[in-house]
Amino acid sequence: MNDNRSIFVIIPCYNEARVVRKTVADVLEKGYSVILVDDCSKDGSKKQLTGLPIYYLRHRVNLGQGAALQTGIDFAKKKGANYIVTFDADGQHDSNDIAGMIKLIEKDKSDIVFGSRFLPGSKTNASGSRTFVLNMARYINYFVSGILLSDAYNGLRLLDRKAADNIRLTENKMAHATQFQVLSAKNRLRYSEYPNNIQYTEYSSGKGLRNWDGIKIFFEILLYKIFS
Amino acid sequence: MTIIQIILTIGIVVITIYMYLRLRSSLLDVILVALFFAAGIFFVLFPETTNKLAHWVGVSRGADLLSYSSILFLFFLILKLYARLRRVEQKFTELVRNKSIEEAEEFKQN
Repeated sequence: MNDNRSIFVIIPCYNEARVVRKTVADVLEKGYSVILVDDCSKDGSKKQLTGLPIYYLRHRVNLGQGAALQTGIDFAKKKGANYIVTFDADGQHDSNDIAGMIKLIEKDKSDIVFGSRFLPGSKTNASGSRTFVLNMARYINYFVSGILLSDAYNGLRLLDRKAADNIRLTENKMAHATQFQVLSAKNRLRYSEYPNNIQYTEYSSGKGLRNWDGIKIFFEILLYKIFS
Repeated sequence: MTIIQIILTIGIVVITIYMYLRLRSSLLDVILVALFFAAGIFFVLFPETTNKLAHWVGVSRGADLLSYSSILFLFFLILKLYARLRRVEQKFTELVRNKSIEEAEEFKQN
C-alpha cells in the first residue's frame, strides 16, 4: 500500500476564499499531502488556510489554472511525490474518489487517470446544456489529441511519476485540459477513466466556467495547435 | 506635387528618421531602411510605376496590388508577433513559477 503522504494533491486556487478551507481540510483528512497553488488571489484566500498543514505556493502574478497546475507538479516532483492528483478548489470534487483512482491506476497499470462525470457509477448534477457543451468539447479534444474520453474538462486527474515527467503544461489558461490529453497521446502514456462525483453548487456554478467560455477555450485550443 | 504626395513624403521621412534612430546599430539595417525610404519616395512621386508593376503581375491597379501585398505582409507580421508573444509568456511564466517554488511555505498545524 502507498503511504498517503507521498500522494500529493495539487489544488490551484484563484479567489476561492469562501470554500477553499473546506476543500483543503477535506483532502487533508484523508491523509494526503496538499500543495495549494494560489494564483495571485486577491480575496484573502491565504488567510483562510492558516493552521492547515499544507504547502502554500503563491504566484506573484495571475497566470491561469494551467500554469498553477504545472507549478504544483514541479513542486510535487521536488518533494518526491509518487502520485500527483489535480483537484479543483471550488468544492465540486469528492476527495473520496482519490482512493478509488489510486486503486484503478494500480490495477490497470496506467500512467494517468482522468476523472469522468459521465461514466456509469458517477454522480453529477450537470445541467443539460452543460452536458451538451462538454460533449462537443470531448470531440474537439479527440480531434486534437486522438484520445476520446467520456468527459472533457474534468479537473480531477491522477498522474503517476512517469506521467508527471512527460507532461509539461504550457497552456497557462484553460486549454491545459486539452494539453493533458495531447501530451498523454504523444508520450504514449497508458490512461484510464474513473467515474467521479461532481456536485455543482450554487457557488461553483456561479464562479466556475460558463458554457459560453467554451468558445474562448476553443480558440485557445486552436492557437495551441497552430503554435506548438 | 499634389497635397497627398507631400503628406506621404513627410510621413516616410519621419518614419525613416525614427527607424534610423532606433536601429542604427548595424550597417545592414541602415541600408535596408535607406532602400525602403528610396522605394517609398519613388512610388509616391511616380505613382504610375506601381500600375505598371501591377499589370505585370496581373493586377489591374497599383493601389490594389499594394493592398493585397500589405494584407499578406501584415498577416505574416501578426503571426510572427504572436509566436514571439507566446515565447515571452512562457519565459515570464517560468520566472513567476520558479519564484513561487523558491518561496514555498510549509504551513504548520495548530
